[in-house]
Amino acid sequence: MQNVYSVKQINAYIKNMFAQDYMLNRIYIKGEVSNCKYHSSGHIYFSLKDESAAIACIMFAGQRSGLSFRLTEGQQVIVLGSISTYERGSTYQLYAKEIILDGAGLLYQKFEALKKELEDMGMFASEYKRPIPQFAKRVGIVTAPTGAAIRDIINVSGRRNPYVQLILYPALVQGSGAVPSIISGIQALEAAGVDVIIVGRGGGSIEDLWAFNEEAVARAIFNCKVPVISAVGHETDTTIADYVADLRAPTPSAAAELAVYEYLTVEAQLKDYESRIRRQMVSNLQISRKQLEQYQFRLRYLNPRQKLNEKRQLTVDIDGKLRQLMSMKLERSRHSLAIHIANLKRLSPLEKLNQGFSYIENTAHHSVKSIQNIEVDDELRIYMTDGRVTAKVTAKEKEEYHD
Amino acid sequence: MTDLANKNETVSLEEMFQSLEEIVSQLEQADVSLEDSFTLYHRGMNMLKECNEKIDTVEKKIKVLDEDGKEQDF
Repeated sequence: MQNVYSVKQINAYIKNMFAQDYMLNRIYIKGEVSNCKYHSSGHIYFSLKDESAAIACIMFAGQRSGLSFRLTEGQQVIVLGSISTYERGSTYQLYAKEIILDGAGLLYQKFEALKKELEDMGMFASEYKRPIPQFAKRVGIVTAPTGAAIRDIINVSGRRNPYVQLILYPALVQGSGAVPSIISGIQALEAAGVDVIIVGRGGGSIEDLWAFNEEAVARAIFNCKVPVISAVGHETDTTIADYVADLRAPTPSAAAELAVYEYLTVEAQLKDYESRIRRQMVSNLQISRKQLEQYQFRLRYLNPRQKLNEKRQLTVDIDGKLRQLMSMKLERSRHSLAIHIANLKRLSPLEKLNQGFSYIENTAHHSVKSIQNIEVDDELRIYMTDGRVTAKVTAKEKEEYHD
Repeated sequence: MTDLANKNETVSLEEMFQSLEEIVSQLEQADVSLEDSFTLYHRGMNMLKECNEKIDTVEKKIKVLDEDGKEQDF
């Protein structure tokens, strides 16, 4: 029977094999982070994986200086470490000493760091944002002379307002010369005295857009006295230039819409003002004219001649009334006179004389009504209708009239 | 007169639009006198004319700014 080994012995043997392997002791492995756990002890447990394989990893708390960002799921990273076994479980794993972001991930890390730095300096603060002029006449553009961005800007601008002057500074927007080119473009257009500057380019990878994430470009935009509109890539791409610009446009076309005012709208606005001013003027004139008419009417009404005529009319009226009243009064008097005459006539003793009665008085001119006032031989005067006689009483006798 | 012309040069379209808005609202006030109406009307009409002059309606070709700061046709 050959030699028999214990489990412990065999695991120690394997561990030793790993330890003696030159390559496994210091190796770079790239992959995607998964199952990442920050343990309370400070150790970080995670796996590195690619399309078809995975390897368990651990970064001990003591190695944490080799990690400058927070490890999260899905990150593409490069891990430097050694591979060794864990005797208790007979598994092997990667003991990480240093972890860096891979490729795009690295750029992203730089982006985040610069963004934080500039933000802390206050370069994104809204109080530094200059307002975009509403009616810019000269619009500067820093972008590539060939490419979709400048074509889109020319199209949109021409459609909105062909009377606005576009001035292009042909710049390199990617590659090694891009940063100084963009910066001198901003400065040249500022010196040329444009009203607003569009800085941007069409879509691309994060590497293509990288010039717009450089601090020097951000500072050039920040220091520019002319308002700057950023227009980098597509709507989803956000660069440092977008944060520091006075206004961020999602695309170059949108930037043109923000920078170039629409001529037809302004023309319509002017027409509207004109018609409102004219209409209001006509209306004010009409109001004044109406007021004038009213005053004329009132003045005419208050004219002294009018007053005089009124008084004249009044006297005529009163005169008529007086005459009427007077004639009524006369009529009434005449009437009552007639009644009195009739009454008098009825009572007149002369009438009685006409009817055959006579009036008798004594010599003292007193009416004689009873035989008691008369003595024989008294003289009486008898009045008749046509004269009087004097008679002497010859006898008197009493008589009873039964009537 | 030159003073006025110079002043107009510095007035932006925005400011003119604001002035026009003010003129219209003043005209719309019921107690504005006829004389003031006329003054406002003339001011408004002159301003409209200036606005139209300010919008230089000559079609512009895009220019290219070169390294020396000179503008050339694109």
